Amino acid sequence: MSDIQEATNQLLDVNLHENQRSIQMTESGPGSESEHLQVTIGATVPTGFEQTAADEVREKLRSSCKISKDRGKIYFDISVESLAQVHCLRSVDNLFVVVQEFKDYQFKETKEEVLKDFEELAGKLSWSDPLKVWKINTNFKKKKTKHKKINQNSSKEKIDNGQGDKRDEKDVKKEFTNNALDSHILDYYEKPAIKEEISTLVGDDLASCKDETDESSKEETSPEVLKFRVTCNRAGEKHCFSSNEAARDFGGAVQDYFKWKADMTNFDVEVLLNIHNNEIIVGIALTEESLHRRNITHFGPTTLRSTLAYGMLRLCAPQPTDIIVDPMCGTGAIPIEDSSISPVHHPSFYLTVECLGKRKSCEALCSWMRGATEWANCFHIAGDNNPLAVNRAANNISSLLTKSQTKGKLSCGLPIDAIQWDICNLPLRTGSVDIIVTDMPFGKRMGSKKRNWNLYPACLWEMSRVCRPRTGRAALLTQDKKCFTKALSGMGHVWQKVHTVWVNIGGLHAAVYLLKRTPQAFVHPSEQDGGRTPW
Amino acid sequence: MKLLTHNFLSSHVKGVGPRGFPLRLQASEVRIMPVEFNPDFVARMIPKVEWAALVEAANTLSLGEVPTEPIQGYEQNEDFLRTMHHILLEVEVMEGTLQCPESGRVFPITRGIPNMLLSDEQTEA
Repeated sequence: MSDIQEATNQLLDVNLHENQRSIQMTESGPGSESEHLQVTIGATVPTGFEQTAADEVREKLRSSCKISKDRGKIYFDISVESLAQVHCLRSVDNLFVVVQEFKDYQFKETKEEVLKDFEELAGKLSWSDPLKVWKINTNFKKKKTKHKKINQNSSKEKIDNGQGDKRDEKDVKKEFTNNALDSHILDYYEKPAIKEEISTLVGDDLASCKDETDESSKEETSPEVLKFRVTCNRAGEKHCFSSNEAARDFGGAVQDYFKWKADMTNFDVEVLLNIHNNEIIVGIALTEESLHRRNITHFGPTTLRSTLAYGMLRLCAPQPTDIIVDPMCGTGAIPIEDSSISPVHHPSFYLTVECLGKRKSCEALCSWMRGATEWANCFHIAGDNNPLAVNRAANNISSLLTKSQTKGKLSCGLPIDAIQWDICNLPLRTGSVDIIVTDMPFGKRMGSKKRNWNLYPACLWEMSRVCRPRTGRAALLTQDKKCFTKALSGMGHVWQKVHTVWVNIGGLHAAVYLLKRTPQAFVHPSEQDGGRTPW
Repeated sequence: MKLLTHNFLSSHVKGVGPRGFPLRLQASEVRIMPVEFNPDFVARMIPKVEWAALVEAANTLSLGEVPTEPIQGYEQNEDFLRTMHHILLEVEVMEGTLQCPESGRVFPITRGIPNMLLSDEQTEA
């Protein structure tokens, strides 16, 4: 373990124990109990990537996972001390702590009876341990926000930007501003530790974090009226009630039980009621939906796209010194959240790549950075054809260089090398790349599906050229499955389809194709007939 | 742009093929950015690097003596690895050009980013 990581872990332990002490003060429960608290955590993952997420959990938390039949969810047990590491998982979108699981819930016949049961259920569940976990988690978040604000303020001064605040998704889409991203990416580089989330607890303002703990413990001693909401997800054909009804009645009972205030938008506690056929899971959320909570710290892995990118890269099983080309395009300017940005201080770096016409999103940039941290012994390359995005990368790079030099500390090398290029015409040596991870153009935003008929073969062809024969592999995401399959069918001599993951994220029915490069060497068309496209 | 990156870049101008490597580097602004030294990484990257191209690029940037071949037993030679680490990863070309050796087409490097787009390509915003 490197010095930095060790120091980080030590500091993390300190903070965690402080949190626990503060909780014990308020609840006057048995002291030693909370330290060894075992909880079941649930995590949502992009559907199709449950196994890769489970692998990551096993690798990082040494816990085995249960993969739910309710697609897109995995469950694992941890001790509360590991909570911070849980937030470092990159293949998961949202986390929650399980209050109770009912494997085979017996629904009564009528709606009235079912809803009555839900009302009674609220009072029967053991809430105290999950709520302890929720409190610890909330304390982490508070520190993180504070740290983030401090960083934003300091970066604001230095780079003289007007904006440190996060913006609405819409605004960013329109303006594609540099400001928010600059400060976010700069925060990124500020963080000294390896793990993004842990790192936010470390740093110059550790002292103020400690103050924060004292403050929050004072808050907890006074009776707190928390605000809450119940979110119900229901799937199954034989239910005689709707998710709204269940949420309403269950929520009503929760309100009576805890005397909390119900608030749909500005809540402290989000109670989850997940019903999948006969399986019911009651949980308390540990993360918030990034899309809806811009101004509140999103603690942990962020956007779906980045978790997907991570899952795709994991599928390719990167080996040390693999050359990874990941032109993961963004689908829009979803602002980067600080927490999503990992500090990278290993010698791997990125050039950003994007498929034709797609707007580069910084989130994709960051997902590559995360990938670099994870697979530090690999060399990551990506590229971008969009001048806006490239400009942004350039801004960040030069601001960073200036910043680190003025600070005078030996900071880590820049992991970003931004190159403007076009995926169908990569300026890369033949057979030099080990792994390709990309988001194929969907043909909706940028022209026609008809265009894909030419585009897809061109991309696949070019990728087969740069990809190393025999050992190379590619994970390609696309929504235009028909076109992809057709394009692939003509390339059996260079690409072999190994695996398909059907992905469904928020209605997006896409597929990730895992391809293996055949041993056949690429024959350069210029050696054939002088032309570049042999089809 | 790092020299390690430059080593993987090749001209994609139509009809040029493998004769488009290596791109001729010219730099008007260079910065040194310290990177944590990882000897294992450097040692394993060396076989993947096109050595002659690296030597040429390093000489263009006047980075000092780079041997024409990797030293025998380089895996254990820390001095050598440190030198290569510096050349491959710590030298950033901020402003300059890359030129296709075959067609003469010039690609600019601006603020550390090479623009490899060919102007006759359709690019949609």
